Amino acid sequence: MHLKKPKDIGLYLLMVPGVLIVFVFCYVPMAGLVIAFQDYSIFKGIQASSFVGLKHFIKLFSQGNFTRILRNTIMVSVYRIVFGFPIPIILALFINEIRTILPKRIVQTIIYLPHFLSWVIVYGLFVSFFSASGSIMRAIYAHSDSVPVILTDSSLFRSILVGTSIWKESGWGTVLYMAAITSIDPQLYESAIIDGAGRLRLMRHITLPGIAPTIIMVLIIRIGSLIDSQTEQVLLFLNPLVYETGDVIGTYIYRMGLGKMEYSFSTAVGLFGSVIGFALMLLANSLSKKHAGRSIW
Amino acid sequence: MAAKIKSTWHDQLFIALNSLFMLFLVAITLLPFLHVIAKAFSGDTAIMAGKVLFWPLKPQINALRFVVSSNSFSKAFGFSIYLVFAGTAISMLLTLITSYPLSKTRIKGRKFLLLYFVFTMLFSGGLVPSYLLRYELGLIDTYWAVILPGLAVFNMLIFKNFFEQIPDSLEESASIDGAGNLTIMMRIYLPLSMPAVATLTLFYAVGYWNNYFGPMIYLTNSAKYPLQLYLRSVIHLASLSDVEKSTTDIDLLMNVATESVVASTVIASTLPILILYPFLQKYFVKGMIIGSVKG
Repeated sequence: MHLKKPKDIGLYLLMVPGVLIVFVFCYVPMAGLVIAFQDYSIFKGIQASSFVGLKHFIKLFSQGNFTRILRNTIMVSVYRIVFGFPIPIILALFINEIRTILPKRIVQTIIYLPHFLSWVIVYGLFVSFFSASGSIMRAIYAHSDSVPVILTDSSLFRSILVGTSIWKESGWGTVLYMAAITSIDPQLYESAIIDGAGRLRLMRHITLPGIAPTIIMVLIIRIGSLIDSQTEQVLLFLNPLVYETGDVIGTYIYRMGLGKMEYSFSTAVGLFGSVIGFALMLLANSLSKKHAGRSIW
Repeated sequence: MAAKIKSTWHDQLFIALNSLFMLFLVAITLLPFLHVIAKAFSGDTAIMAGKVLFWPLKPQINALRFVVSSNSFSKAFGFSIYLVFAGTAISMLLTLITSYPLSKTRIKGRKFLLLYFVFTMLFSGGLVPSYLLRYELGLIDTYWAVILPGLAVFNMLIFKNFFEQIPDSLEESASIDGAGNLTIMMRIYLPLSMPAVATLTLFYAVGYWNNYFGPMIYLTNSAKYPLQLYLRSVIHLASLSDVEKSTTDIDLLMNVATESVVASTVIASTLPILILYPFLQKYFVKGMIIGSVKG
């Protein structure tokens, strides 16, 4: 018997608004990337603006600025991975060792919290905390002649970025690992305990290998977004005194594109970043298929 | 657990050290909050003297009262509330009607349609083309610039995965009774998906509440700033020199007289999330886990 189902045409109709919205707000801007090869003028529009080929890319690659922003972008991302990636794993392993439910809940609730605050609020908290005229810094440096001005010191800027994002996201980063821990077979623990294993050995030889697939998955995704410098955060903390170490692709585009209205040039910078980002995501996905047996998307 | 870890002295030591570690984590997380709270409720002379650390000195509540009753704060707060409600409603509607059809494995062209959406997560036109598009559409300085493109593909895929777990037989029996697609989606699938609806609504709502980047780019008129953007201006203004202050918006300037006012603005902007967060936390955790399990 042929099962009766409502006509599929209705399903396609339901999708029309979503498809259109994505077309207008995602695909039309992709077509707009063509201005990277033009001397675009907002008054002339895309059709009337003249083609200049690779002019903006040549300008980009011949500028000292470019190596600086590329280096900063990659270094901030690499630091985020090197320092930020292991912390949630370590936290999850040790939180898992709290055997009473209430204290565990309390710790989890508190350390998840910063994830839900906007970067503006986190910025506000740390400006207040690190301000050279603030009481915290004055208390710490009570016995020296001067208080360092942390937020405008370019040698500290990347540490500030990485440190504050560790503060904000590490707690929430444990969620996936905690979920993976609960799916480890309890019998593994039981037989190891009968063999006389202590907590640290259980952690090293059962819990850690048990969450290894999740660890690999998260790491691969992090590698895939290496070029994504988290502009939302950097833009808040950034000031002209720290451009040398803190100006990243996203903030540079913002300043050049919307600040100085160099539309074509900043689109060229953006296109360069998007292409690398796309290639990295493809790489991450093939790594994921190979090592984790599943596709990222 | 049937077997118990032997309670030896080094097991005891481990528990003690682990508890200390947890206390350290909690302290590190809370101290920045405590400092700002202490500042918001301290007298200005105590703050200027650099004595306020994690407990209010010469306590006062005037600063917070001033912030909450000020015109510019309540206007920005109102814009944020509007952004959250209008944005979440539009986003949820788009997410629902796009994910439901895509969850039907039988429809033709499904693979292509999925690729059509997923590709936008991997590649984008970037900041300037997105800005110019809104400029051409006349959306600059309107909230539509932020809420109209409200379909988050990642959330849509979470919802699609959730729908896929509901057995097809429900759809079949409803359609034998003569129900159409819309009825089946709204009357059968939606009520069964309430956990996913709750989680995604929260994801969207928090996303809109916290979003400062979109409004910063697409709103040029500071009179329309939502709360996060207003807070950003207050923090920035407070750290400006006197020369810079003379060239900036007087209206904003009136509000940043003192550090306790800046701290109070931070507190007042955090409060809504702080109050709702303990009740909603479990939905977020659930959503994070649903999202990570691929259908």
